Amino acid sequence: MTRNPTLLRGAALAGALILTGCTAGGAGGSASSGDKVTLTFLTFETPNLDAKYWDAAIARASAKVPGVTIKKLVSPSADRTGYAKQLDSTGQFPDVMIGLNPAGFAEAGKLAQWSDNELAKYVEPRANTYDGKVYQLPYAAQATFVYYNKSAFAKAGIDAPPRTYDELLDDSAKLKAKGISPFVVGGGGKDSWADMFPLICTVATDVYKKTPDWLSQRSAGKVKFTDQAFVAAAQKVADLADKGYMDRAGLSRSYADTEQAFRDGKGAMYPMGSWFSASADTKKPSFDTGVFAWPTDQGSSALPGVTGGGMTVSSKAPDVKLAKKWAKAFMEDEKNLNAAVKADGLIIDIKGYTPPDNMGPVYKEGLAAFRNAQKSDGVVNSFSQETGDGSLPPGLADKAAAGVQKLLSGGMTAAQFGAYMDSQWDKATR
Amino acid sequence: MRIRTLTRPERSPATPGRPDAPGERQSPTVPKRSPRRPQRSRSRDGLNRFAVFAAPGLLVYLALVLVPIGITIGYSFTNKNPFNPPTRWVGLDNLTSLASDDEFLTALGNTVLVTVIVTVVTNAGGLAIAMLLDRRGWLYNALRSVFFVPVVLSAVVVSVIWQAILVDDGLLNSMLGQLGMSDPPGWLSDPSLALYTVAWVIAWQGLGFCVVIYLAGLQGIPQELHEAAAIDGCGPMMRFRHVTWPMLAPAVTINTVMSLIGGFKAYDQVQVLTNGGPGPGTTSTLAFQVIQTAFNGNHVGYASAMAVAMLALVAAVSVIALGLLQKREVSS
Repeated sequence: MTRNPTLLRGAALAGALILTGCTAGGAGGSASSGDKVTLTFLTFETPNLDAKYWDAAIARASAKVPGVTIKKLVSPSADRTGYAKQLDSTGQFPDVMIGLNPAGFAEAGKLAQWSDNELAKYVEPRANTYDGKVYQLPYAAQATFVYYNKSAFAKAGIDAPPRTYDELLDDSAKLKAKGISPFVVGGGGKDSWADMFPLICTVATDVYKKTPDWLSQRSAGKVKFTDQAFVAAAQKVADLADKGYMDRAGLSRSYADTEQAFRDGKGAMYPMGSWFSASADTKKPSFDTGVFAWPTDQGSSALPGVTGGGMTVSSKAPDVKLAKKWAKAFMEDEKNLNAAVKADGLIIDIKGYTPPDNMGPVYKEGLAAFRNAQKSDGVVNSFSQETGDGSLPPGLADKAAAGVQKLLSGGMTAAQFGAYMDSQWDKATR
Repeated sequence: MRIRTLTRPERSPATPGRPDAPGERQSPTVPKRSPRRPQRSRSRDGLNRFAVFAAPGLLVYLALVLVPIGITIGYSFTNKNPFNPPTRWVGLDNLTSLASDDEFLTALGNTVLVTVIVTVVTNAGGLAIAMLLDRRGWLYNALRSVFFVPVVLSAVVVSVIWQAILVDDGLLNSMLGQLGMSDPPGWLSDPSLALYTVAWVIAWQGLGFCVVIYLAGLQGIPQELHEAAAIDGCGPMMRFRHVTWPMLAPAVTINTVMSLIGGFKAYDQVQVLTNGGPGPGTTSTLAFQVIQTAFNGNHVGYASAMAVAMLALVAAVSVIALGLLQKREVSS
């Protein structure tokens, strides 16, 4: 054994450094001590759901569940699922997560299952099942609408939103003739998901309306992306871009910039998730905003919608029972729900809940359109956003978004896009 | 008068004052200590001191660099997918699959192009700027700081700033529009242009480093050489060719190798500016492809194989470049 004290001190210092390094990434900050537990909560921030919104909601839920301390983790981008995977790979999988796509995590046993009792308050408790089991609280629905600038429509002599796809084309031509760009699109950098909405709409009207379980059939190898139905849906998007109806120049815009572009009147129509209604009501543009569902060829209802988006809990959380209790307290707190509705335009699917009376006109119009579609059995899956059995394999939604960029920019035909999606599917599932 | 300098044999081994030196103060009855013992003791002390200072760094390097590299190499021989256990040994299957993987090959091509652009732009631009700034005065000192600022900024911050400038309705296109250009380029949205835009941003950030190294090199060139060349009738171009350029050989080596490594590692700028697009893989680099495959597609084993291939490539290119450039240093 060395008697050199300097060497010993050096070795001790090095050991301490190594230990510090090892423990820093170990448990992800979760700890349980007696009846107190610290839980990590993964969330994300957007222009609508900012840090203030999350902090207030966390405080309200924590007040209802004594003994729980929440350590907030914010995903560096809206892709919280990708970030959760990174955390998982370094042994820091969060204890509670909101808006996570459970695909992969659920099958691998990383998530705690919600029981029927725990889901009793939810309108569609089995909206996203994995092999019959529920891993995410289905607390809200979101739909994809086309938001439109009523002033621009009036200027182009259009007095009502289109009811068929041909009318949509006619209106686009009228707008363009008046020097108004018909559609605002975006999806640059990390926000490539934002370019998906035109395709989400055409897949809903041309594919899912006729074959609601199309992705399950794709999984079983019964259909392919190169089939006529899917290629036709992609062709509609490509045609709109080719005709100059879609603002190709906006393809490098971030999500926030795309939202602002519509607000600034850079285009008459903006296909986007129903969360935009909250933004349109609170940061009102200089024109009145209307809402319509992307029309089918015949005028029947085919509104892309997805129910879910709530909390998931890690099966390895230091106290799963308490984590679930906190997650439910967060989801079911009326003030939290009101705040979510106001900030994100959510359509809450919890029994007995009614949105605040003072919601703005765009939200109310969207909610009415969604309820009408529900009544006429017109709500269909939302391509690339669906979760549960019969959803895209992990990672494929991002690939689809990259493909849509090329479809919109004219670098890929609809048939090539279909072939690209098939090859990516094969890669993702090998 | 010739000044005699002390040479090693003339230095008395019995210099008074040296505690470990044998000499007059030692008793003639005490046997002389072997001259090798104190040397060995000194070298052991030196080794101990080196170990004390180096050990923490070496251990951290081992834990955070070498061990992860070893783990990655291990994973590259498996089909590891955290969501699809169990993990199986697949031997060289992953590495051989890379040769026919279009996405990997596209990323490889993009990476090579980005690396070439970055290396050429940073070296040519860095040298030109360094020669302009190789003067005295507060203005030149200030300009040196200005050129160095991007180096110390995070690549993400730099990318966010450039994104605001380069998006289709951003600052640059607004200016071009005001100058009368009706259809300005889609710097980040045009698939044929986006990769060059990303390469430019990477090169812009690395430029300051090259400027500093070239400035140090320029300031190390003895003025007498320039003066002698001028007396021999050399003009500025001849002086650059026959004096400046050969004397800058070590700086060229450092800058070229660092630029090559920087180009091959390009990730942050791609992630922020284009997310690999516009379109499938248009600006995807090797590092970006590794992250996408591992964390988006969950194919950790396959992504590890990509990372190993990337490591081998970077090592090979660095060693070859270093060898060639160091040979040039010697010959010049």
